[in-house]
Amino acid sequence: MTKVIIISSDDERFPVDIETASKSLLIKNMIADLKPDLGDGDDEDFEIPTPNVRANVLSKVLEWCEHYKNTVFSDEDDEDARKSGGIDSWDRNFLKVDQEMLYEITLAANYLNIRQLLDTGCKIIAEMIKHKSPEELRKTFNIVNDFSPEEEAAIRKENEWAEDR
Amino acid sequence: MSAEDDYPARRPKGGRPSWLDAEDLDDYLYLQDLLVRNRRNLTTHRLEIQIRNYNNSPLLQLPTEILLQVFKHLDKVDLFSLLTVCREFSELIVEILWFRPNMQSDKAFLKIRDVMMLPRTETHWDYRNYIKRLNISFMTSLVTDDLLYLFEGCPKLERLTLVNCSQLSHLPIARVLQLCDRLQSIDMTGVQDIQDDIIYALAQNCTRLQGLYAPGCGNISEEAIITLLKACPMLKRIKFNNSENITDDTIAAMYDNCKSLVEIDLHNCPKVTDRYLQSIFLELNQLREFRISNAAGITDALFDLIPADHHLDKLRIIDVTGCNAITDRLVEGLVRCAPRLRNVVLSKCMQITDASLRHLTKLGRSLHYIHLGHCALITDYGVQALVRACYRIQYIDLACCSQLTDWTLIELSGLPKLKRIGLVKCNLISDSGIAGLVRLRGERDCLERVHLSYCTNLTIGPIYCLLKTCPRLTHLSLTGISAFLRREFTQYCRDPPPDFTENQRSSFCVFSGNGVSKLRNYLDNLMQQRASLLEEYGITGEFNQQSPARRRRLQPREGGEREGFEDEPPNVAAAFNNFNTVLANPMNNDDDMTTWAAHRGLPELARLRVDQRAREIRRAEMNGADPLAMAQDPTRFLPQPMMVADPMELFRPDNAPQIVQSAVFDDVTMTGNEDDMDVVDLFPPPNFDTERD
Repeated sequence: MTKVIIISSDDERFPVDIETASKSLLIKNMIADLKPDLGDGDDEDFEIPTPNVRANVLSKVLEWCEHYKNTVFSDEDDEDARKSGGIDSWDRNFLKVDQEMLYEITLAANYLNIRQLLDTGCKIIAEMIKHKSPEELRKTFNIVNDFSPEEEAAIRKENEWAEDR
Repeated sequence: MSAEDDYPARRPKGGRPSWLDAEDLDDYLYLQDLLVRNRRNLTTHRLEIQIRNYNNSPLLQLPTEILLQVFKHLDKVDLFSLLTVCREFSELIVEILWFRPNMQSDKAFLKIRDVMMLPRTETHWDYRNYIKRLNISFMTSLVTDDLLYLFEGCPKLERLTLVNCSQLSHLPIARVLQLCDRLQSIDMTGVQDIQDDIIYALAQNCTRLQGLYAPGCGNISEEAIITLLKACPMLKRIKFNNSENITDDTIAAMYDNCKSLVEIDLHNCPKVTDRYLQSIFLELNQLREFRISNAAGITDALFDLIPADHHLDKLRIIDVTGCNAITDRLVEGLVRCAPRLRNVVLSKCMQITDASLRHLTKLGRSLHYIHLGHCALITDYGVQALVRACYRIQYIDLACCSQLTDWTLIELSGLPKLKRIGLVKCNLISDSGIAGLVRLRGERDCLERVHLSYCTNLTIGPIYCLLKTCPRLTHLSLTGISAFLRREFTQYCRDPPPDFTENQRSSFCVFSGNGVSKLRNYLDNLMQQRASLLEEYGITGEFNQQSPARRRRLQPREGGEREGFEDEPPNVAAAFNNFNTVLANPMNNDDDMTTWAAHRGLPELARLRVDQRAREIRRAEMNGADPLAMAQDPTRFLPQPMMVADPMELFRPDNAPQIVQSAVFDDVTMTGNEDDMDVVDLFPPPNFDTERD
C-alpha cells in the first residue's frame, strides 16, 4: 500500500498511511495539490519534509494521528462546544510528558494544522496555569520576577477589578 | 451594534475565550493579530532579565498565537495572576484586560473609576491607550458627566456605548470624541441631551465611523447631520429618531455620500418623504434594515423606481409604522421586490386590508416577524392565508384588529415556531378560542409571550390551561380583563409603570418572569384543592389525554389540507363554564358575551368555518345597528359575493400550501355606517384606490 513518508528536521523518515497523515490538514492539502492520485495504483511513495519538527516530537504527533485516524471530529463550526468540552482521557495520558515536549507537540500541531491536537495541547497548558498565584506560576514555568515590589503592588491595585467575575 | 444571524460576523478559529462575551466573538481575531504584532516589536528592546527569563522558560518562548490560544481557556482571575508574573506576560495581558474594561458590576465599575481618577502619569501604564471598547451602560445610575470626562483621551477607542446614560450632557461626549480617529461606532440610545457639538465632533474626528445610533436627536440641526454624512462615507448603520429637523435633504445626503448603508432607522421623522428614499432603495444594494414611522409623505410610490426584474436581495427588515398614506399597493410592490423579507411592521397603517396579507403570503418561509397592530380592516380570512403560507412566523402582533375572532387563534395554533402572540383589544376573542389554541398546540408549547389585555371576554379556565401547556411562558398580559382583576391574582403581577393614573393602575394586570410561574403555581394549588370537584366535570382527563397526541399536527403540508378536528368532543366551551363555576368566581356569571361565545364556539370552529351570519350580526350590533331591524332583514348586513372565483389562483406561490377555504372578503369598513359595507376588490386597478375615504 502506498505510504506517505514524513521526514523530520533531523532526517528521520516516518512512513505512515494516507489516512494517518491526513489528520494533518497541511499534509492533506499538500497531497491534494501535488499528488491527487496518491493511492490509486500509484505505487510511488510520497515524501514530505517537516523542517521544524524533531524526530522524537514527530513520532509522538504521528502516534496521535494513528490513534485517531478513523475518528471523524465534530464540525469546525462547533467551536464553542469543543472549547468547553473536557480533555479525553487517552489524550491526557498521551500528553503526560515534560513541559518542553508538551510545547513542542503543541507547536508541531500548530504547524501541521492538526486542530484537535492543538486544542488539547493548549487546554493542558492552560490547566497548568489555572488556580495559581503569581509566585507559583513563576516556579512552575521557571520565570524570575522582573518587577520591583512597588511595581507589582501598583499593577495589582490598578487591575484588581479584573478579579471580580 | 446589532448582529443579525444571517449577517455573518467573522468568527475566530478555536472558539471564544471565557473573558469575552458572546457578542465580541469577532473581536478576538482582531485582538490576536494586534498582540502578535506588538510582541514582535517588543522583543527588540528587552531588558537583560527579560532575556534571561525568555531563555530559561520554554513557556515564554511559545509564539504569541499559541499563548493566546492557551489564554482563551483561562478565566479573568487567572489572567490577573499572570499579569504580575513577569513583564513579558504583563504586556500581553494588560492589553487583553483593558481592550474592553469590564464595568458590568458596580464593584468593578467603581474600581475602574478610581484608577482612571489617578493622574495618568502616576499609574503603571496609561490604561487609556489600551481601551478600544468602552461600554458604560451597565451601571447607568453611576454614569455622570464627571465619569465620562475620565475617559477623555483614549486614542484607540473604537466603540463607545452610552445606552441609557440619561444623566449625561452633551459636553463630555463631544470631549471624549476628540482625537478618536479610529472610532467605528457610537451608541447614544437613551441619551437625552444630544446636541450639534457631538455630531460635529464626530464629523471632525471620527471619519471612519460606521455606526451611529442617536435616537434622541430631536435637537440636532439638519445642517450638522448633513456635515456628518459628508464626512463619514463609511457609515453603515444610522439611527436618527424623533426629529422634526430631518427632511429629504438628509436622505439625499445619505444617498450621495454613504453608499454602504446597511441600516437606516428614521422612526418618527415626520418630514421625510419618499422623494429620495426611492433612490435609496434602488441604489443602495447593501440595505438590510429600513425603519421609518409617522411620515405622511411615504406613499405607495416608495418602490416605484425599482424595475420588475430587480430584487432587493439584502432587505430583511422593513418597518413603516403609522405611515398612513400606505395602502395594499405598497405591500404588493414590497413583496415583489424584496422576496426575502424577514420582519414586516405595518402597524397603524390604517388602510391595510386582507389584500396585503395575501400579498405577504408570497414571502412564505422567509417571514418570521409580522406586526399588524391597529390594522383594523383585516379579518380572519387574511390571517388564515398569511399564517398558512408563512409557517415560520415566530412573532405576530394583531393588537386592535378588532374584527378578528376565535378563528384567528385556531389558525395561529398551526405555527410550529410561534413565540409571541399579540392580541390586545381583540375583544371578539373568547374562551373557546384560547381553549382551542391550547389544545391544538399541545403540551410543552414554545410560546413565550402572550398579550391578551382587553380581551374582555376571557375567563380563568383557558388561561390556566395556557399556563399549564406553555412552560417557557415569560410574559402574559391580561390588563382590563375583569376575571383576573382580583387581589388573589394581581398579587403576582408586576408593578404598573409609575406614570399610570389611578384608573389605569386598577386595571393593570401583567405577569412577567417569575410572576408567570407564581400565577401558575397559585392556580395549580387551587386546582388541587378542588381536584375532586374537577373530576366530577371530567375536564382534567380531557386535556391531559388528548394534547400530546395532537402536537405538531397542524403544520401546513402539501395540498394544504390540515387535519380537522371534527373528532374533538364539542363540549369544551361548556366544560369551561363549569370550570369557572367550580372556581366560584363571582365575576363570572354568564353574561351575554359568554352565552354568545358558547353558541358560536368550538363546534363551529371545529369545521374551520366561522358562522358568517353570526359574525356580521355581531359586528352590526357593535356598530350600533338596530338588532330588531337586522333580525328582519339579515341579508342587508352580509357581505356581497366576490367577483373572482378564487383570487388566490392569481398569485399563489409555486409551493405554497393550498388554502382550502375559498377567499371570501368581508366588508372592510369600521365606520358604523352600514351603507359603507361594500366589497373590496382584491386587485384594485390603477387609479382606483379602493372605496375607503
